[in-house]
Amino acid sequence: MARPVAIVGTGQTRCGKRLDVSYPELIREAVVAALEDAAISFADIQAVVTGSMPPPMEGVNGPHLYWADAMGAIGKPVIRVATCGSTGVSIAQAAFYHVASGLFNVVLAIGAEKMYEGEPQGTMSTVADPFFQRPFLAGAPGIFALQCNEYIHYYGLPEERVREAAALISVRNHNAALNNPYAHIKTRISVEDVLRSRVIAYPVRLLDVCPSSDGACALILASQDAAKRLPGLPVWVKGIGYCGEEHFFGDSEKVRWQSAIQSAKNAYRMAGIINPRKELDVAEVYNPFTFQELLFYECFGFGDEGKGCELVEKGVVMDGGDLPCDPSGGVLCTNPIGATGLQRVAEVVLQIQGKAGAHQIDGVQTGLAHAMGGMDQFNGIMILGKTI
Amino acid sequence: MDQKETRVLRGTITLPYQWALGPTNTRFFEEFQNKRIMGTRCEQCARVLVPARSFCSRCFRDMDEWVQVKDEGTLRTWVLINFPYEGQPKEPPYIIGLIQLDGADNGFSHFIGSLENYRIEYLKEKIRIGMRVKAVWKEKREGTIFDIEYFKPIE
Amino acid sequence: MERRVAIVGVAQTTHRDFLPENIRDLAYRLVRQVLDPLNLTRDDIDTVVSSSSDYWMGISCSNSFYFDAAGSYLKNATKAAEDGAFALCYATMRILSGHHRTALVLSLTKGSEIPSYWRLTNLYGDPFFQRPVGLNEVAVAALQAQAYRHQYGLTDNQLASVVVKNLGNALHNPQAHRKAKLSLKDVLASELVAYPLRALDCAGPSDGGCALFLASEEVARDLTDCPVWIEGIGWNTDSYWLGDRDILKGTLVTAARRAYEMAGIKNPSDEIDVAEICEPTSFQEILWCEQLGLCAEGKGGKFVEEGFTSLKGKIPVNPSGGVLSSHPYVSRGLIRVAEAALQVMGKANGHQVHNVRRALAHSVHGLGGQAHTVVILGRKD
Repeated sequence: MARPVAIVGTGQTRCGKRLDVSYPELIREAVVAALEDAAISFADIQAVVTGSMPPPMEGVNGPHLYWADAMGAIGKPVIRVATCGSTGVSIAQAAFYHVASGLFNVVLAIGAEKMYEGEPQGTMSTVADPFFQRPFLAGAPGIFALQCNEYIHYYGLPEERVREAAALISVRNHNAALNNPYAHIKTRISVEDVLRSRVIAYPVRLLDVCPSSDGACALILASQDAAKRLPGLPVWVKGIGYCGEEHFFGDSEKVRWQSAIQSAKNAYRMAGIINPRKELDVAEVYNPFTFQELLFYECFGFGDEGKGCELVEKGVVMDGGDLPCDPSGGVLCTNPIGATGLQRVAEVVLQIQGKAGAHQIDGVQTGLAHAMGGMDQFNGIMILGKTI
Repeated sequence: MDQKETRVLRGTITLPYQWALGPTNTRFFEEFQNKRIMGTRCEQCARVLVPARSFCSRCFRDMDEWVQVKDEGTLRTWVLINFPYEGQPKEPPYIIGLIQLDGADNGFSHFIGSLENYRIEYLKEKIRIGMRVKAVWKEKREGTIFDIEYFKPIE
Repeated sequence: MERRVAIVGVAQTTHRDFLPENIRDLAYRLVRQVLDPLNLTRDDIDTVVSSSSDYWMGISCSNSFYFDAAGSYLKNATKAAEDGAFALCYATMRILSGHHRTALVLSLTKGSEIPSYWRLTNLYGDPFFQRPVGLNEVAVAALQAQAYRHQYGLTDNQLASVVVKNLGNALHNPQAHRKAKLSLKDVLASELVAYPLRALDCAGPSDGGCALFLASEEVARDLTDCPVWIEGIGWNTDSYWLGDRDILKGTLVTAARRAYEMAGIKNPSDEIDVAEICEPTSFQEILWCEQLGLCAEGKGGKFVEEGFTSLKGKIPVNPSGGVLSSHPYVSRGLIRVAEAALQVMGKANGHQVHNVRRALAHSVHGLGGQAHTVVILGRKD
């Protein structure tokens, strides 16, 4: 029935402050890297899916048009997909559908951001409607802190315990980023550093929060036949889930977060996964904010409701644990938003292919990649696997 | 790892927009200007949503039963904003809360105010999830969301 | 294509200068207008692909704003930004994949709420080269018109014929925004805005949009006696840099060829019964007709002037009034698809072309038509 689709190449740029290149040049870096990784040329690409954050972020309307030449996409079908923070996963899913439809056999997926060229929080605050929510939902930190407070109160957790678990996540990710050549923030920190860092949006502190990064990430997706003719190990898209909620932030509770729960359920169903904690070997969970990751663990069924902290404390989701999360350093250390969801997919692909270098985990067969967007509104998940 | 930075061109893009409120929001703000907070009730799921909507997005049907809700309610969650960004409504620090007004089934975002200071220790005493808050209306109201100055904690 | 996808329902706003409802309300109404006649509910929508654009709305991550208004609560819904026709193509691929059986496609733009199209299309330009010199959609269309005139000849009357035809056709379309019975002289009397283009040669902004319901073959046959099959889709991109392109012979030729091949069309001027073409300026309708192969290169001016594309002509072009009549920017391409579908269904109230078996819908955006999309719709007898 459904046509199998593989990811046959990934390409990432060094992320951080990339004022050394223009926006199109940044994109080209990732595209060229992906083509080299897949051992194909521009001519082999049959369609392109692009995406990034709101165009006001970089101040160019219709970014896909601006990138056309740099992507090698002149004369090719190109679309732009944009779903805020979940954009990267939406791009990967759109590329999946291009191939799964039977219309294309080799598709380029590319997402990017150049946050140093714009005003990130100011731009993000304009996601909220101008009539009711915009003055109040202060960019990303405000919304996630509101959610975090709700979570702590809902399960009656001692705030110190949650802050400590979040700090452990922050330390884990910062350490992991040191082993990722593409990561933005590379600093050694301690739990104390996190707990004492400046309050941004209480209870969220500076070291609980991602940076604003420049960066781009590209994937090459292919049909089974096309993948067969390529030298590398194809990684198969086993499951897809995507789900969204209301625009009014207050309309749904965000602790037993329905869009996160449903998107995971849908992806697991498609992939035939019944016990994610056992069947997943790695997860790249979208975590611009440490606290939120605790919720994601619960919503994705890695542990029971209210038990996110336990998963951290018992080392389940830590380096060396049953289900290691964010071995790349994750969004917490690198966040060029339009690319970030694609980086999650790319990193899982690298793990499965055994190409993750210094941050390789042994024996990865199946992994989960995730991205979230809007005002706690969208969640998208892809399950990737070694076998068809 | 040294990268030579290329030149940077600076610019600001200012764009005027005029978003139509639409009949439902227009009526909401007319009532709001008179210190009445209105929601609408869905016949099917019985939820009352504030601000008033013309439709229920879950049942996907028209919502035309207008219901007044109280201007006080319960604090569902809150956050202290302590960072600056372009286009902010106030200079930080300030507090945003999600309030479930009495009579409504969803949360309504607005400022929490009348606090002596913004030190964390003080705030954690003064503000608790589940506490009661009440709207403080401005004297001079213009039919915008800022007709309420903030919500203040009440005993 | 192995599997087949059909359009089974269409809903449009009445396009206007100013629609008082906000985009959430408009989205809800459109979705209800498409579901209700089919006796479907929100539960019957497997996936939603909408199209909107942040600068064109003044709200970032634009689909966040109307997400749940478009029936998408707890659904797999996404946005193919910038061009309504992209959403149509992406939704088609979602159904072709076998993972979804139905899809809702929707696009809305409110020209009344946003800065001028001149400003917003100027922002398509990069900050260093193309934006500062004031390029925008109209200016570049005028550049193209000049180049065309130099190569093939182009008269003011030929340009004006497009305007007279389209605004005249709009008189018969209850959904259309701008409609007028004009003479060629009326058009020639309007102010020159970007030589050789006059004010009436350029489509002004509108509020409006549309929604379509797509279904896979099995579902489509249950829902309607007249499924409108999506027989071919093709889209293509040109270089960003005007100076790098052949500004007359752009990528529309290839986009059209892809769609024609998929649809099995060898001779478009014989096999297409009606075309809804995206013409932000009168000149571009002339150019796109040639690029679509509806007439020979260099003959586009005569093609319209001599009535071949009028309502009763050989290939009626824009019986709805086209973009010159109704211009919600991001939605304009999807409205072409909607109108083409109505023609195939036989439901184009007042502006129905006789015996349509195959219709073409075209969309474009970007400076000088950097990105084109072509959709072929048809019915089997």
